[in-house]
Amino acid sequence: MKNSAFLHFLTLLLFKQKSKHLGAILISMIIIFLLSSVLFISSSLQQSLLGTLDEQPDFTVSRVEAGRAVNTPVEWIDRITEINGVSKVTGRIYGRYYFAPREKSFLIVGIDFFDEQNSRTLKELVDGIDLKVFLSTPNMLVGEGVRKYLNAHYYKESFSFKTPQGSFKKVNIYKTLPEQTKLIANDMILMPIDLAREIFGISEDEVTDITFNVPNDAEWDNIVAKLHLLFYDVRVVEKREVRKAYENLYNYKGGLFLILYLITIVTFMLILYQRYSMVYSSERKEIGILRAVGWSIKDVLKLKFYETVVVVLVSFVLGVVLAYLYVFIWNAPLLSQIFLGGANLPNKVQFVPVIHFGILGSIFLFYAVPFLAAVLIPAWKIAVTPPKEAML
Amino acid sequence: MVTLENVHKIYNEGTPQAFDALRSIDLHIDRGETVILSGVSGSGKSTLLSLIAALDKPSSGKIVVNGELISKLPDLHASAYRARQIGVVFQHFNLLEDLNVEENVIVPLVHAGLPLATILQMAQKSMRSAAIEHKAGQPVNRLSGGEKQRCAIARALVHDPELILCDEPTANLDRANSLKFIAMLEMLHGMGKTMIVATHDPLFEALSFVSRVIHMEDGEIVNSEQQ
Repeated sequence: MKNSAFLHFLTLLLFKQKSKHLGAILISMIIIFLLSSVLFISSSLQQSLLGTLDEQPDFTVSRVEAGRAVNTPVEWIDRITEINGVSKVTGRIYGRYYFAPREKSFLIVGIDFFDEQNSRTLKELVDGIDLKVFLSTPNMLVGEGVRKYLNAHYYKESFSFKTPQGSFKKVNIYKTLPEQTKLIANDMILMPIDLAREIFGISEDEVTDITFNVPNDAEWDNIVAKLHLLFYDVRVVEKREVRKAYENLYNYKGGLFLILYLITIVTFMLILYQRYSMVYSSERKEIGILRAVGWSIKDVLKLKFYETVVVVLVSFVLGVVLAYLYVFIWNAPLLSQIFLGGANLPNKVQFVPVIHFGILGSIFLFYAVPFLAAVLIPAWKIAVTPPKEAML
Repeated sequence: MVTLENVHKIYNEGTPQAFDALRSIDLHIDRGETVILSGVSGSGKSTLLSLIAALDKPSSGKIVVNGELISKLPDLHASAYRARQIGVVFQHFNLLEDLNVEENVIVPLVHAGLPLATILQMAQKSMRSAAIEHKAGQPVNRLSGGEKQRCAIARALVHDPELILCDEPTANLDRANSLKFIAMLEMLHGMGKTMIVATHDPLFEALSFVSRVIHMEDGEIVNSEQQ
């Protein structure tokens, strides 16, 4: 129980001088809260996007003319299928459909639902879908954002698309895509490939692009090389490139906040340092008194260290817990728009809780070490001056 | 008990603002003596006390307390010396304003390695000796000058030091409280404590329990009167 007197005194000081610590706790908490919120949002979005990406095909190829993407010949499907190691080759029709009343566009994706993999994925994605019924009449599945826009214009049951020939194609709204796909499917319309072909006026011998899988990822580079040998005008997009692009996008946004955080933390530490260094501060006198009644420099620094550790831990835990509630329970109002604001249609996403303890540990270190230094260095400077001077 | 040999203290040494605060101080105080250091402000009384308390170091000369050379002590030992052997009562009390009386009194014992219960018992005893026990839970920023003084005395006595140093102890007190303080000094003298009091208060001039009054002027001892 040698330390019980010290703990008693430490607790006393923390409670009795709470007004002195509250300001530091509050500011630190806000900084930690903001940074943790940003990291929670970016980690959650990344995780969701990458999770969605896992379901996507490994490769997407399309034809380019003068560097511009054009429709891809259907006969490419057969030629790609012949490459060893390639599986599930399928053509897609997609494109943006301009919705004039709102000056927004929807992403129409045409899928071959007769393909076994596609139909299975759809059944997994949309609970209780009856493919027979879905394919028997012109039907579509719409994202949450699309549904809202159509509803607002009283297209509650169906919508008539204008084809390039000037005719209208009425398509029924079969169902809304599930909540968990909102991040990427908010502005998406899924429909049978032939229906999409009709709406975009794409001929039978063309598709927008072709997707396929290569189960052995050691072969990916070979496959890319073979594709370039096979087609002089091909553009190949690998899933790993898309993954990297997603990661970079959110790392970039998170990185901007990290810079802001570092600037804020440096400013705050300078303020703290100045406060603790002030010649006539009460801190100075307090240290002088402690030294005068027999405390050594080590004793003073021990007190200041633990006092600061408590302040740092309390503000860190409060900041992180608040950020967790703000992002994962209250869905990050305002801040989420910085990450989702660039989307085509306004989007509200339910963030899936993802916590990277490594990142949290880094935040803690980036915050705790400068904080401790900002308090302990001036405290040490005062402690080494003769107590008589410090008490003045 | 306390011996000073040729002690000099120069502030801002080696600069154009160098100032001789103490010059060639030779002094010996025996155990149980109560010594008054008198003199006008700036005569060097407080500087002399701060050197004996190891709150500052002399520019040259030797200070020996209880056989220990304290003028050359490194920080850790100087702190231990202050924590165990001396109690200091400052002119401006130097209390921790956010804490109450009892909490201020235990401050010197926080690092003594004693159980908290023992420390609190020692604080009770000390507050009783300084007649401030009834204000134990009162925050010191709500105490009168006299009460603050008694709190400072309780803090100085809590570790039962042999040597008590008082720097202008009545400078911030009215006459009634000054007399109470003197009565307390007499009680401590009766307990066998060695005391050095730096003051220019005339109330201290003819006290029966005071063994010597040492007059200081411009950093020098000009006169030492046995009582």
